[in-house]
Amino acid sequence: MTDCPRCAFETVEKLYSSPVPGVWDVLQCRRCLYTWRTTEPARRTRRESYPEQFRMTAEDIANAPEVPVVPPLRA
Amino acid sequence: MPYDDLRSFLGTLEQEGQLLRITDEVLPEPDLAAAANATGRIGEGAPALWFDNVKGFTDARIALNVHGSWANHALALGLPKHTPVKEQVEEFSRRWDAFPVAPERREDAPWRENTQERDDVDLFSVLPLFRLNDGDGGFYLDKAAVVSRDPEDPDHFGKQNVGTYRLQVIGRNRLAMQPVPVHDVALHLRKAEEKGEDLPIAITLGNDPVMTIVAGMPMGYDQSEYEMAGALRGAPAPIATAPLTGFDVPWGSEVVIEGVIESRKRQIEGPFGEFTGHYSGGRRMPVIRIDRVSYRTNPVFESLYLGMPWTEVDYLVGPNTCVPLLKQLRAEFPEVQAVNAMYTHGLLAIISTKKRYGGFAKAVAMRAMTTPHGLGYITTVILVDEDVDPFNLPQVMWAVSSKVNPSGDVMILPNLSVVELAPAAQPAGITSKMIIDATTPVRPDERGNFSTPAKDLPETRDWAARIQRLLAEARG
Repeated sequence: MTDCPRCAFETVEKLYSSPVPGVWDVLQCRRCLYTWRTTEPARRTRRESYPEQFRMTAEDIANAPEVPVVPPLRA
Repeated sequence: MPYDDLRSFLGTLEQEGQLLRITDEVLPEPDLAAAANATGRIGEGAPALWFDNVKGFTDARIALNVHGSWANHALALGLPKHTPVKEQVEEFSRRWDAFPVAPERREDAPWRENTQERDDVDLFSVLPLFRLNDGDGGFYLDKAAVVSRDPEDPDHFGKQNVGTYRLQVIGRNRLAMQPVPVHDVALHLRKAEEKGEDLPIAITLGNDPVMTIVAGMPMGYDQSEYEMAGALRGAPAPIATAPLTGFDVPWGSEVVIEGVIESRKRQIEGPFGEFTGHYSGGRRMPVIRIDRVSYRTNPVFESLYLGMPWTEVDYLVGPNTCVPLLKQLRAEFPEVQAVNAMYTHGLLAIISTKKRYGGFAKAVAMRAMTTPHGLGYITTVILVDEDVDPFNLPQVMWAVSSKVNPSGDVMILPNLSVVELAPAAQPAGITSKMIIDATTPVRPDERGNFSTPAKDLPETRDWAARIQRLLAEARG
């Protein structure tokens, strides 16, 4: 299976396959959760064509802010 | 005649020539989103789009752009399709006065026909999910009416919230959700998370057109969206009890998804092309576990394209943003004539008002910024006189160009609150705000040379009617 187009992670899971057999699969990156259909344009499905401004790194994910922030537990 | 479900409204749209069936086979991406995007680029009166021949699917029924023109918005309210925008907003405002109208409970909801539970839940098998914009992190549910209750007051019908929030499908039975801190569901979630509890939630898809308008409407915390839907429909809103959560949900929904927001958990979400015409994302957001899906046989998947305005969302949340602001301002300032807050869900608002005395209009603008919606949105206010129609942008530009002396009429207020999605905020959630007072100064604010305005002639109104009548006769 292919690497994640967005974050280049190597573990990609198949979420769903087309009801008409063999037309497309829906894949998901296990790290950044990017989800795509195999029939989408190369700009969404291939690492080398994936736009720079939408790429994500492990640091981006680790440093992503919480929205909304988890509140303190009440005593 | 109000619509009790999406299907009956689609029937009316088709009869009125406002629903276009695309019968050729299309790709799920990029065709579905590109077609919906295109409805905002072909001029006035764009139709809703219906797709049921989508490559790889055997059983897809997709409705897009259902609210995506003034004609469709008028029909959603049961008005003639050529009703001008200003009249639609005025009628919306008039019906608001009937609030609250108690809903009507029915227990034969058609979404009870089919069920998936627990480990059998697979959203992909129920809905033909697809991507909207290139940079979106995945497939989204972006036109749902999401129901939650106040964990500290769960039996309060008014505090039960119905709102629209973006939902990213991150698994067969999992969603990521964006509860913006200024919105009611974020208050519910905060209370649950402070106690370390999950927040039960019901997500309803494919609703009657007024329910969708109300779900996107800024209302008071303890005001019921169902009681507002009844007012706008002119008849009680039909509701039913969701089987797992016991929440009140629309009777006519195509799909009802129930589960919980898992307490104190956040996961990477987005990005998603937003109503601001910009993406937002790369943040860790709450996660929903789906425990039950109920759906009508042959469900219709309703979705909405949004991106660079105008798109369907601008029609959907245009009037429903104007009217609450108009009502809240008029409650204290009856001088306010009309509010046009249709730009980016009210990041900019144009307010027409009479002046009580010098400086009054600027006070109206500051009040608009401190309404519940204004706190999170209104960043620029343009004030115009009572004889300027705020929906007529050439008139508004005339007022700005001829009445504004910037040193006395433009105020910049630093470091105020705004939604984090606002692209110009710095830091996110904080912005300066601006008042442009394009009203005529009145005593004791005696600036400028406005003593001899050239008004429309007294006979002009009669002549306008006469010319329109003669034109109609000439055109047969």
